[in-house]
Amino acid sequence: MIALMILAAAGPLTGTLAAGCGARARPAGWAAAAGALVSLVCAVWLLTAQLHRTPLRGWGGYLYLDSLSCFFVLTVAAVTLLASVGSVAYLSAEQDAGRLSSFQVRLYYIFFGLFAALMLAALETGNLGLLFVLIEASTLASAALVGLEARASSLEAAWKYVIISSFGVTIALAGTLFLYYSASGLHLAVEYRLAWPYLFSHAHALAPGSLRLAFMLAVVGYGTKVGLAPMHTWLPDAHAEAPSPASAMLSAALLNTGMYAIIRFLAITHARLGDAFPRAVLLAFGFLSIVIGVLFMIRRGNFKRLFAYSSVEHMGIIAVALGFGGLLGLYGALLQTLNHAIAKAVLFLTSGDVALRYKTREAAGVHGMLTAVPVTGGALLLGSFAVLGSPPFGVFLSELTIVRAGFATSSPVFPLLLLALLAVAFVAFARTTTGMVTGAPPGEPGDEPTPYGGRAARLAAAAPLGVGLVALLVLGLWIPAGLDTVIRHCVAVMS
Amino acid sequence: MQSLSATSAAGVLLDLSGAAILLLSFACLGSKLFNRYLAYYGAQSVVLSFAAGVAAYAFGSIELWILAVATLAIKGIGIPVSARRLLIQRLELKRDAALSTGLSTSLIAGGALTAFAYLVTRPQLLPHGLVAAAVVPLSTAVILLGGLSMVVRRHTVAQLIGWLIVENGVFLGAITLVATFPFIVEAGIFLDLVAGVLIMVVFVSGLTRRLASASAGELRELQG
Repeated sequence: MIALMILAAAGPLTGTLAAGCGARARPAGWAAAAGALVSLVCAVWLLTAQLHRTPLRGWGGYLYLDSLSCFFVLTVAAVTLLASVGSVAYLSAEQDAGRLSSFQVRLYYIFFGLFAALMLAALETGNLGLLFVLIEASTLASAALVGLEARASSLEAAWKYVIISSFGVTIALAGTLFLYYSASGLHLAVEYRLAWPYLFSHAHALAPGSLRLAFMLAVVGYGTKVGLAPMHTWLPDAHAEAPSPASAMLSAALLNTGMYAIIRFLAITHARLGDAFPRAVLLAFGFLSIVIGVLFMIRRGNFKRLFAYSSVEHMGIIAVALGFGGLLGLYGALLQTLNHAIAKAVLFLTSGDVALRYKTREAAGVHGMLTAVPVTGGALLLGSFAVLGSPPFGVFLSELTIVRAGFATSSPVFPLLLLALLAVAFVAFARTTTGMVTGAPPGEPGDEPTPYGGRAARLAAAAPLGVGLVALLVLGLWIPAGLDTVIRHCVAVMS
Repeated sequence: MQSLSATSAAGVLLDLSGAAILLLSFACLGSKLFNRYLAYYGAQSVVLSFAAGVAAYAFGSIELWILAVATLAIKGIGIPVSARRLLIQRLELKRDAALSTGLSTSLIAGGALTAFAYLVTRPQLLPHGLVAAAVVPLSTAVILLGGLSMVVRRHTVAQLIGWLIVENGVFLGAITLVATFPFIVEAGIFLDLVAGVLIMVVFVSGLTRRLASASAGELRELQG
């Protein structure tokens, strides 16, 4: 089982190895995809095998896996698979168009694999210090992806990203330090000093003042990675400037990893300090993020920035759901995490196809996708309705759960406010994306319908979109019994 | 739990180093010239490695000795010297590209942040009489001052150094109670730091090539 855990985290490194050995864009891409598939299979296997057992531990608590980490590993591995299959098509098209050199393509796969592996490893550790180390390392690996294209604007975005996130995560390290101080009354052996399961089971003996500070610092620090407002300022730039499959990884995997770290702190804080304090903190940051995200979505401009602000909004929704708490709130938060990850991966992958086909990232320059590129256009239309929470897609179900949790646990003001903001978000977002898919396509009718050369590349571009949308549809119609059990187990881990 | 008392010799030395580190963060905040700014950062790291050495001696911990030596070599000497070479020789930059607020404003803000650090961390943390109880407010103040340096400095390299000051503050907090974090964690933090500095330097030199100056004030293409 421990070997399986290591395999799950190390899977994506195949892409790194292949690129490091000098493979060309396509073989390296397929190697990365195969590695991601291995990770996903391991994650599913671990999830089913571990469901009714005690958490896995190894290496003195540095390796630790319970249902909650398993669920996030599954999400991240699934997103990595979608994004790496998408990379095969996108990167070779960029290289054929002469925008990326073969060296840059190799760098891309090296850092892509590292980035995914570090995130998966961060999810599999029970040591909060090591969690910090791995999350900071994944920031650095992904910063290289953001700055890959080496234009002035992408270097600016990468600089902003790396300096703001590193600072934020260092604040989270200070939070970890205060958590460590709050345990100074306990007589802990060396290997338990930062071990989450141990701190969680002894939460009642932690010093409350120091713990309160620790939670605040962790929310601000890891919240920088999550993209909670007002620490979100790096997020739209990085998402807009990174190559599209890397944007998908940032939005659908990295943000969730940050949220996972916050959930670990939340569980300890909740066990010691009760409902009121963490709820106030999470609702404040959550609603601020939703408001900021929605306001910036109204502006029409770069469509990748639009998707990025939608991520800010969704992370806000997840924070609000965690703040509502209770079975419904936590259940909704996890379901929303999974749904949002898949939907956003699909959207960012389509954004890559659009940018390649129309050679612009401005929404105003894109029309008539349904006629010109029916597959991508259809995926963009369905994906945007999915991410906005219209039935029958999964996000509808999870947002409904969250609103219900709000009515069950707090004053009706909060869920009503949430509903109002969701309505504004719907109008703002759909206005732009429907404008992109409808209308008359620019250019000659004889234009190439797809930027990808060869059947394999076309398939690699379309497959993740189809798979993602089908998954969203399934999750909207019916939550598989296995997934339901897993999420219930996760909620039990948290409370 | 193993910890140093405030009245032991090691405790007094740690306390003094903490105060010196705080003063050096103020010096960084208040220095206008780039080479002074770097020199103060280097001095702060040297004091930090001395503090780590004191803790290592008091706890008899080999791992902490390793960290003290690594701090001295990398943060105290390596980073300041190479940053100086990069800035002054390659980028031909003598002065800092100015503060975005007045010098006195930033110093007053720094004083306010220090007071705030004491307000927040004093009453609730550790039992009095432990050296950690005295050093934690200091390290919190250093973290805040490092953040302030990042905010008021315009140049990207100055922001990088601000981040390293924040890191120094966290490290100061970490060495006072029990020997330290587990060694693997500390080593990981160190590796992250080195990798972070390397990747940031790559971006800074890339930006310098594109924009003629790597002042953050010129980074205004991405808005909204």
